[in-house]
Amino acid sequence: MLGVRRTPTYYLPWLVRPGLECVLVLNNVESRFKTGFNKGPFAASVVQYDARGTVVGRHDVELADPTATAEVRLDADGAEAGFATVTGARIFSDQYVTLSDGTAYTATHGRQEFIERYPRVVRILLGLAGTLAAAAGRTLPLFVKDQYLYLGASFRSHLLVMNLSNVANRVRLVVTGERGERVERMLKLRPMGSHLLDVSRLGIVAAEATSVIRARFEANAWFNLYVVGAGRKDLEGPLSFMHVK
Amino acid sequence: MSSDRCALLSATFWEAGYRHLIETVHQRDARAHRNLDALVIAVHDPDGALLGETSIDPRKEVFDLGTLVEEIAGVVPRVMVSLEARYDERVFPYRPHHYAFLHRPGSDTPPLYYAVNAVLGGVPDRVGATNINNFETYVFRQRPSAARYSILLGNLARFATAEAQVTAYYGSRRGPVEVALAPKSHREIDLPSEREGHRLERVEVKALFRLASYVVGRRADSGDLVLFDHLFTYIK
Repeated sequence: MLGVRRTPTYYLPWLVRPGLECVLVLNNVESRFKTGFNKGPFAASVVQYDARGTVVGRHDVELADPTATAEVRLDADGAEAGFATVTGARIFSDQYVTLSDGTAYTATHGRQEFIERYPRVVRILLGLAGTLAAAAGRTLPLFVKDQYLYLGASFRSHLLVMNLSNVANRVRLVVTGERGERVERMLKLRPMGSHLLDVSRLGIVAAEATSVIRARFEANAWFNLYVVGAGRKDLEGPLSFMHVK
Repeated sequence: MSSDRCALLSATFWEAGYRHLIETVHQRDARAHRNLDALVIAVHDPDGALLGETSIDPRKEVFDLGTLVEEIAGVVPRVMVSLEARYDERVFPYRPHHYAFLHRPGSDTPPLYYAVNAVLGGVPDRVGATNINNFETYVFRQRPSAARYSILLGNLARFATAEAQVTAYYGSRRGPVEVALAPKSHREIDLPSEREGHRLERVEVKALFRLASYVVGRRADSGDLVLFDHLFTYIK
């Protein structure tokens, strides 16, 4: 009704920090048994968006056959995070993103979803409505997601929040601690932008060895989350990614 | 346990030394919790012997699997834990997987967060119960890393032994391992990182039944888990 188009898109998160290498492992192995799609070569293109939604990298790869893999290192200036899209007319496989500290790596996979594209008029109207709602500490809650976060003395689960749309996305975050503390934050993500939410900066102190924090996200456009696991050295140490539904 | 849409049978593996928390309903909103009717946890040793079972209050959002296993089974190195959930059918197609948090206390290694492997039931066409064959795969980075890899396989069938073939690929070479799993038993199959100078490229699991399956990576120095995740099905 609003003229919003949903473009099917495969995407993965990325995160680069000093001492941490982020590498995509591209493949098409699940095409092996798809008649008509199991003969290489397979072309794939990666577009890397940074936290501001700016394209900061493009990579084209070719997979010779369904069992071939290609590793694409995603770089950034300093500590950065965002997401990357993977396109390929005959690519039918989940792709992997790895985070390595030089010794071992953690890994998860991307998601086949969509990018929302709003027409110009709707973008302007959403922007105006979003500004008004933000003045009251609210957003237009068109999309809502809930997620548990874990907080302890030697670990954290942070979140990478990704705006999968071409509009500015105001994301209202309501976090509830185990003692009933309630913290609200408003994030404003640029089109195709991201935000690495540092759970330790929310002002909630771990009540026990492991505290479970309940987070609710409301947003005016489509978005998604990846959990970022951190150990004793927090964001300065090795990290893990994990998709959520 | 039937493959009724209102039921979901999942499984994971618990190991000593880890903080392991299970989210009963991943999306923890009120509606999802209203639709979880019951959750029964059963604990099995590697040979399939039932060490005990218990019901979880479906209103509970997150439970400590380590505490529960210790209460049920005492001190054990590793067990397979099945989670038999019953949902109001209105929850579907909501994909009410259980998710879990996994971390070794005091470790520099980051915690892992994973979807508990759904084996039977759930959303049609998403859990591979409707397929005759189950082919799963996982690919690895080619840069050498100081990690040991393996596959954890469990058979959740009540009566039938499941045969599976685990094949690791190293360039043009392959290393198949035949596995027979008695009902409720499980086994960890090591995947050497190299063979004849070639790196481990990928692994495939083939079975006539849907098995509980995880690809596992452990740091070579500390043994800490760096990978505990599902494989990918070829045919959905």
